[in-house]
Amino acid sequence: MLDEVGKLIDPPLVRVVFTAGFSNSYTGGVREFQVRARNMRGVIKQMDDLFPGLGEVLEEDTNVSVDGELHEVVYTQPVYPGSEIFFMPKLEAG
Amino acid sequence: MLTKTKFVAEDLKVVGTRPIRPDGVPKVTGMAQYGADYSLPGMLWAKILRSPHAHARIRSIDVSRALELPGVKAIVTKDDFPEQSFDYIGPDRVAVNYWHMTRNVMAREKVLYEGHAVAAVAATTQSIAEQALALIQVDYEVLPHVIDVDDAMRPDAPLLFEDMITRGMTPPPTKPSNISRWAEFKTGDVDAAFAKADAVVELSFKTSPVHQGYIEPHACLARFGADGQCEIWSSSQGHFFVRAYTAKLLGMNLGDLVVHPAEIGGGFGGKTVVYVEPVAAALSRKTGRPVKVAMTREDVTRATGPTSGSSMTVKVGATKDGKIVAADAVFKLQAGAFPGSPVLNACMCSFSPYEIENVRTVGYDVVSNRPKAAAYRAPGSPIAAFAVESVLDKLAQEIGMDPVQFRLKNAVKAGSPTFWGPKHAHDGYAETLQALMAHPEYQKPLGKNQGRGVASGFWFNGGGESTATIHINEDGTVMLATGSMDVGGSRASMAMMAAETLGVPYETVRSTVADTASIGYNHVTGGSRVTYATGMAVIEACQQIIKDLCHRAALTWDVKDEDVIWENGHAKPASPEVGSFEPLSLKAIAAKRAVTGGPIVTESAVNAGGMAPGFASQFIDVEVDPETGAVKVLRAVCAQDVGKAIHPSYCEGQIHGGVVQGIGWALNEEYVYDKQGRLENPGFLDYRIPVASDLPMIEALMVEVPNPNHPYGVKGVGEANIIPVMAAIANAIERATGKRLTQLPMSPPRVLEALDA
Repeated sequence: MLDEVGKLIDPPLVRVVFTAGFSNSYTGGVREFQVRARNMRGVIKQMDDLFPGLGEVLEEDTNVSVDGELHEVVYTQPVYPGSEIFFMPKLEAG
Repeated sequence: MLTKTKFVAEDLKVVGTRPIRPDGVPKVTGMAQYGADYSLPGMLWAKILRSPHAHARIRSIDVSRALELPGVKAIVTKDDFPEQSFDYIGPDRVAVNYWHMTRNVMAREKVLYEGHAVAAVAATTQSIAEQALALIQVDYEVLPHVIDVDDAMRPDAPLLFEDMITRGMTPPPTKPSNISRWAEFKTGDVDAAFAKADAVVELSFKTSPVHQGYIEPHACLARFGADGQCEIWSSSQGHFFVRAYTAKLLGMNLGDLVVHPAEIGGGFGGKTVVYVEPVAAALSRKTGRPVKVAMTREDVTRATGPTSGSSMTVKVGATKDGKIVAADAVFKLQAGAFPGSPVLNACMCSFSPYEIENVRTVGYDVVSNRPKAAAYRAPGSPIAAFAVESVLDKLAQEIGMDPVQFRLKNAVKAGSPTFWGPKHAHDGYAETLQALMAHPEYQKPLGKNQGRGVASGFWFNGGGESTATIHINEDGTVMLATGSMDVGGSRASMAMMAAETLGVPYETVRSTVADTASIGYNHVTGGSRVTYATGMAVIEACQQIIKDLCHRAALTWDVKDEDVIWENGHAKPASPEVGSFEPLSLKAIAAKRAVTGGPIVTESAVNAGGMAPGFASQFIDVEVDPETGAVKVLRAVCAQDVGKAIHPSYCEGQIHGGVVQGIGWALNEEYVYDKQGRLENPGFLDYRIPVASDLPMIEALMVEVPNPNHPYGVKGVGEANIIPVMAAIANAIERATGKRLTQLPMSPPRVLEALDA
């Protein structure tokens, strides 16, 4: 994305959070990360760069909360400066 | 992309009304086609041989004598199903393990519960198939069994799987056990926080597993062609998962299997599993003829998944002014014969209605010699709520607060943290409590041996993948199809949202459920997701077709597309400057479909997010007979945040249904086993679900706090209603008798025992 004089604007910083159990399994116990992204695709790509293979886990195995709103993991889901992106286990249907 | 609209209740013409349900007449006249109602020429009947033992090793199966019986066409056993690799596929709470699934459909090395399928016969008549079952020789080595969850966790318990190491523990245990999974959620410093509490209550609880009690037993018809193409007609909560599981268990491509949705006679979560479909398809493949399987009620109770039984301990501390400062809970849930109880949901839902800084929940998923647990209405949450809401009631009494006020003081709202992760994004809970307090009966005194109990519940509600298609017929009426099985009125609610969006009468929209070959993927009808997610697909399809209709009107008027608007079911000029044109109705535009581009049709698919959770709060009045221990429910007042009721009668029906099931769970329903682990009450005469004469006036209070993420404010309605019931009744009994019951069901003998203690 470019600003009004054509200069490339960095994507905004967002905060990515995992549950303790998830972080123990996939991120060496680290629960929180700051990444730059405009949408869920960007978040997943950044996390996959940090932990190769994690992107597929996030896509397949989680729901995500963006500032408290629960969502399916969809690439086009926008994220905003300072957003809290919380990945959590998928729901069971009843 | 869906255009989200601001929720404007006063502009709605169809949403919020109560039109006649489209499935009503076929159902009451006997015309509806359920799973067992389908037949084909040359059809065979299948019967399934089931284990008489709760736990046994299968040494051998000899089918030779059965095959010699005239009329028997084929028999299948484990050898007719390919072995599956041992992997937990998908996320924890919904992980699928096909190694387990194929063994649940047809036992391999061992039988793990009475009723476990061992072989299946296809024959020309049901009677011959029954006779053939008796001729199959199975050599069993009977093994010790275990049913109760606490017994199954003992170090010396018989092991269902000799190599099962508990998942989730760090470091992993060194010895195998029946504990499949361990999980913990925590926030804050729980132990330190209890020291600051003025009152602490700790209680232990047990609940019996209970069946969903759907009236229609599992049934299906399968036809496997010589070309390898297979069709199945079955009732389920999602024909796309039937296709996926059956294809996987038979080693087929998805494209070679078409599943047709039959009408469904109840599911409540229990029909999100395959039992008979792979068996019927395997027999059809072997015989080349259509094969029908229909379970009996006894088969259903013995061999299909109830929800878990449990053993729980909950401890909560609060200050004198009613602030909860710490909560600690252990939930041990019975998974049945294979791993997969809803214990993670129990852990997460338990304290979710409350803003508490220090919380710890620990869960155990435990296998035992019972049918594998299946989903049941808000899986896991009602079990946890029975314990949590019972403890909260006692705590409210100890600090001298009204139970509703106590809950209201600690209620979550938008922005409140959850103990398992993200913040709550929606209001709705406090509003249900306020609705109870405003009810004229809430403060009314009760008589002798009567008590009033309060409880609440939380459920996530779901979103996810759905598809909808719309076709404008030649006369301007509307064909609407989705791939979501209609278990709770979705054909009506989809038609209503389509009519509202298109601006046409509800009666002009024909709403159907399409088979797996005729529409894109739809996730199961469960998790209270369909009105929300499939509704979004429908609305988006309507918005697309409105765009197309405006385009066709523009072509007709020789104006630009943007000069045409859609209003009250008609294309109109956007302004007087566009020209003077008579509005074009759907019928008028449909009449010119050929010259404006051909059939008017669209399909929309979504992966819906932004769903809002469901909250329910209830007060229930009971009267306890001190001589018999019988509990009569006098009144149930049930407030639930429904977002926006699309069809209020259906929402009320969901609330009524959930409360009825909760009353059965609370007072009567349980599995009774003999010493050999054999079920003694498999029929409805002895497994006693509530009947009309058991039930009180159930008053549904629909609280509408719209979800801003849905064009009509929808929130899921199907599940939150069952969650509070058991605790509300236990709390009412305690207030009527002074006795706290901590075990379900609270049947007359158990109540009498408490009264006499």
